[in-house]
Amino acid sequence: VQFVATSAAEAAVVSRVEVSGNQRVDADTIRNYITIKPGKAFSSADIDDAVKALFGTGLFSDVQINQVGSSLVVKVSEYQVVNQVLFQGNKKLKDNALAAAVQLKPRGTFSQQALDADVEAVKAAYRRIGRDDAAVTTQIMDLGDNRVNVVFNINEGGRTQIAAVNFVGNSAYSSRRLSDVISTKRSTFLSFVLRDDVYDDDKLRADQELLRRFYYNHGYADFQVVSAVGELDETTNKYTVTITVQEGDRYTFGEVSVESTIPEVDGASLQSVVETHKGDVYNAKNVEDTIIALTEKVAGSGYAFAQVTPRGDRNFENHTISVVYTIDQGTKAYVERIEIRGNDRTRDYVIRREFDVSEGDAFNQVLIQRAKKRLEALDYFEKVEVSTVPGSEPDQVVLVVDVVEKSTGEFSVGAGYSTGGDTSGPSIEGSITERNFLGRGQFIKLSAGGGKNSRDYSFSFTEPYFLGRRIAAGFDVFNRTRNYDEYESETIGATVRFGLPITDNISTQLAYNISQEKYKLDDDCDVDNDGEPDAGCDVSEAIFEGIQESPWLKSSVSLGLVYNTIDDMKNPHEGIYANVTTEVAGLGGDAKFVKVTARGSVYQTLSEQLDLVGLVSGGAGHVQGFGGGDLRIFDHFQSSDRMIRGFAYGGIGPVDSDGFDDHLGGTTYFNASAEAQFPMPVIPESFGLRGAVFADAATLYGSKVSADLVDQSTTDMQWRASVGVGLMWASPFGPIRIDYAIPVLKEDTDDVQEFNFGISTRF
Amino acid sequence: CMSSEKDVDLSTYVEQTEPADVLYNQGLANLNAGRLQEASRKFSAVDRQHPYSEYARKSMVMGAFADYRQGNYSEAIGSAKRYLTLYPSTDDAAYAQYIIGLSYYRQIRDVTQDQKETRQTVQTMQDLVTRWPDSEYVDDAKEKIRFANDQLAGKEMQIGRYYLERREYIAAVKRFRNVVETYSNTRHVEEALARLTESYYAMGLTSEAQTAAAVLGTNYPDSVWYKDSYKLLQSGGLEPRENAGSWIAKAGKLITGA
Amino acid sequence: CNSSKMIGDLNPSETLTQGYVIDQQAIDLVPVGSSREQVLLALGTPSTKATFDNEAFYYISQTRKRYVAFDKPRLVDQKVLAVYFGEDGRVTQIANYGLKDGKVFDFISRTTPTGGKDQNFLSQIINGASKLAPGLPGGSGGMPGG
Repeated sequence: VQFVATSAAEAAVVSRVEVSGNQRVDADTIRNYITIKPGKAFSSADIDDAVKALFGTGLFSDVQINQVGSSLVVKVSEYQVVNQVLFQGNKKLKDNALAAAVQLKPRGTFSQQALDADVEAVKAAYRRIGRDDAAVTTQIMDLGDNRVNVVFNINEGGRTQIAAVNFVGNSAYSSRRLSDVISTKRSTFLSFVLRDDVYDDDKLRADQELLRRFYYNHGYADFQVVSAVGELDETTNKYTVTITVQEGDRYTFGEVSVESTIPEVDGASLQSVVETHKGDVYNAKNVEDTIIALTEKVAGSGYAFAQVTPRGDRNFENHTISVVYTIDQGTKAYVERIEIRGNDRTRDYVIRREFDVSEGDAFNQVLIQRAKKRLEALDYFEKVEVSTVPGSEPDQVVLVVDVVEKSTGEFSVGAGYSTGGDTSGPSIEGSITERNFLGRGQFIKLSAGGGKNSRDYSFSFTEPYFLGRRIAAGFDVFNRTRNYDEYESETIGATVRFGLPITDNISTQLAYNISQEKYKLDDDCDVDNDGEPDAGCDVSEAIFEGIQESPWLKSSVSLGLVYNTIDDMKNPHEGIYANVTTEVAGLGGDAKFVKVTARGSVYQTLSEQLDLVGLVSGGAGHVQGFGGGDLRIFDHFQSSDRMIRGFAYGGIGPVDSDGFDDHLGGTTYFNASAEAQFPMPVIPESFGLRGAVFADAATLYGSKVSADLVDQSTTDMQWRASVGVGLMWASPFGPIRIDYAIPVLKEDTDDVQEFNFGISTRF
Repeated sequence: CMSSEKDVDLSTYVEQTEPADVLYNQGLANLNAGRLQEASRKFSAVDRQHPYSEYARKSMVMGAFADYRQGNYSEAIGSAKRYLTLYPSTDDAAYAQYIIGLSYYRQIRDVTQDQKETRQTVQTMQDLVTRWPDSEYVDDAKEKIRFANDQLAGKEMQIGRYYLERREYIAAVKRFRNVVETYSNTRHVEEALARLTESYYAMGLTSEAQTAAAVLGTNYPDSVWYKDSYKLLQSGGLEPRENAGSWIAKAGKLITGA
Repeated sequence: CNSSKMIGDLNPSETLTQGYVIDQQAIDLVPVGSSREQVLLALGTPSTKATFDNEAFYYISQTRKRYVAFDKPRLVDQKVLAVYFGEDGRVTQIANYGLKDGKVFDFISRTTPTGGKDQNFLSQIINGASKLAPGLPGGSGGMPGG
């Protein structure tokens, strides 16, 4: 009997399904969710499923189903409904920002767990903007009919700052140098702008990784971060961050060899590709670059599945690490499909063309990582994830590329002040830039700028993949007006340019430019407007001769070659930057000359502890007219602070013979400079201030203006020299540089200008 | 320097409520007069203040429609989905599902971009057709499914052409085959067959090229794509002959249902 | 210093092997007469197949050379290994097609039109420009002078 009863209960049948306790949700809906129907057999499992289904809708706080006689009673109690969510006392974070962060929404259901989770969400939002001590309390106002208003009372508290970032156990590098490496910075008066002093555990973890990479790249293979901890001092609402490190010894490379388990691949022959050499300081990045280079070489010769794994064994006595790169056959897998997702604006091909791997090719992790780096270098995306999903066959793999786009458009207003160049004085510039125009990867920029005596308008466009090749083709259109003391000039021009990368470090630029320059005397210099300088206006004959040749058309072709191995363009410590440009004007137009300019800078870290960086740079230029005509005065080189500091713009070189000491510029120049850069000793390093001591030398000579108009005594090769100090500040507005230089060797006709100020990266 | 929103004084704060039917009718009036913004505000007020009434149910679906008409598709999808969880068995449920499908449909992007809205359109409209087979919206739903599939086929073709231009025939053939096999009822199948002819011909697999052209010829004899393929094979001195056993021939039958 | 890097840079040409990796021993394992499963086991999944019922497998490999970093990789070699199967599913013939068998011609430029909304210039600039540089003087734009 016992057995029968349970089985009978198992296969019970009901004639009716009753629903009770529901207010907002109607009975049919509830019946719809449960599978038990009148007259149909059901088991206790069916009841469990029904309960789970009803809870699954998220509408009910409680569900009870049991059988009473011949009817099934479903008793539910509904969650309350949220009428409104209100935020009180929030100033730094707006209501809609907070509303987005919390789960409880108007017209949604209310539950206690959601409320608790939302309190945490609001606190986290405030922690992210550096207010760790924000307090959040909640109030529930019952409006009757099972409806509630949810109120978050917020007390934002003060800005939590970072009192100090201390390093313990570092002897090889000064604490100042290490604080440059990590992103968590001490609070300074500028922090309210930079917002870089927000304490965040994730950021501190990421900083530990940055430190590891820094030390591994500078020879410290045993480096460890012992602990990195931030204690909050409640009273002062400030964190003190202490990072204890154990540097270990500095290693150099011992024996370096390449072994291959693939018969046809001979390890020794690949030795030339290896970038880690015996005796060099151990550097993790070079090991990674070697792995990429070896993989590309081996894959190129037909072994696409080859895998390169480095094995280093330390020799503790003489602190060397000998590295063996073993090449062996990886798993044979092919890329079946490349799925690109998340590109709501960027076109599919702009992403796909960065992959040298195509569908149907061998799956090679290194080449895929390289494509990922290239995508990140485009700077169109917040995040790039490349993951693999099994394909339709065991040896097939689907590559999934998930991108999160970021806004690549920028409307910016820039103010500047400079004493160098022909636009001295304050200036302002507004520009609209779009780096990923219409998602096609093209760059456009429209800018307008003006200073005391200059106006600049320009539009430029660049297509990075011209005709499917990695050729950055583009054009610029510009209009420049300048007015000098006695005359003014207007230049309208256009350039068509093609940038061609030859290797990772070498790139060339081929360009055609056409421009028309118009010169005219100032109104106050030529009141009667007869084209002749009036009595009071002392413009030299040579310059006036140039003005008369207006309008002047230049049509020229130029070829530039750049070699660049600088490690970090904004704050260089290592590397070479050299460029040579040749311009030939004379394809029609009035200007007929060949102009060659060259410039090279070598950066070398002199001392790691003191973070002392040495810079030696030099330059030269020569312009040669051809076709018989004299060289126009405005095509001569003029000196500037990039040639030699301590002198005014156009302050050295040949002068006119009328005694006005107008500098007419020269046909040839040489310049050299030696500089030492160091962090400012006293001021805290988070200001980003660096000092510099330098010595410049330059000469500007030779003039092709008609002989009688030039003071011949000033046209031969006289050297000028100056020494000075500089202050560099990586400000939020861009790198600012102030130089104070005193000429030690000069000619009496030179215009001296000790002080020089400019906002720009100087290369 | 941030201007802080005025904090609401809790004690005196009471939201003035109006009867459900008044709000609902105001919503309808605004809707008919084309003031969609005002209409959806009224409908959401009903839903919030009177969550139990029959009006709340009606205004939820009307609110979704007003949001859809204004183009704020995510709100429309949100309230339509809420309607479907609360009232899955009412007659308006099919309409709510239809609004969700339409909202995704309106957001379908160009083929060179991510097609997630297109996939969502197909899935939502497919749900509509299977769950409410006799609803009045089924015909338009099928039409939207056909357009969305055509768009997905268009994306495959775009990527196929990208690889073809770079002469990476393996990747190109994979993409065009995918169109012929999975999107055979779209307009792109003609071009896919023509591109296959080009790819195989360029690789030197003339028998496959001939078969592809033959299938194109039998199914779309007057198609401009067939003329191009024919001319291409002609230039190589070959006739497009159908290689009966070939997969393309079988796919061809799939299209015509022969 | 990293002089070898300098030398390494001067021969910038790069070879890319794409598609199926041909392995001669594996091909020798599947002479005429071997079954379809043996072929799949030895050679793996084909680049493309010729029939619904696997009438022929094609294993395609291409080699490209990129002489200078900016250039488009040029197709220098192409091998198609064709494995034909008879009715009984046994290999009847193995054929090799080289680059010379391929024909070079330009593809038809016409494309079948597709729908979907595309952003125009203005809408992108408006939402692009919404990110105004910080209000303080000297936004992040380029600086004149210096």
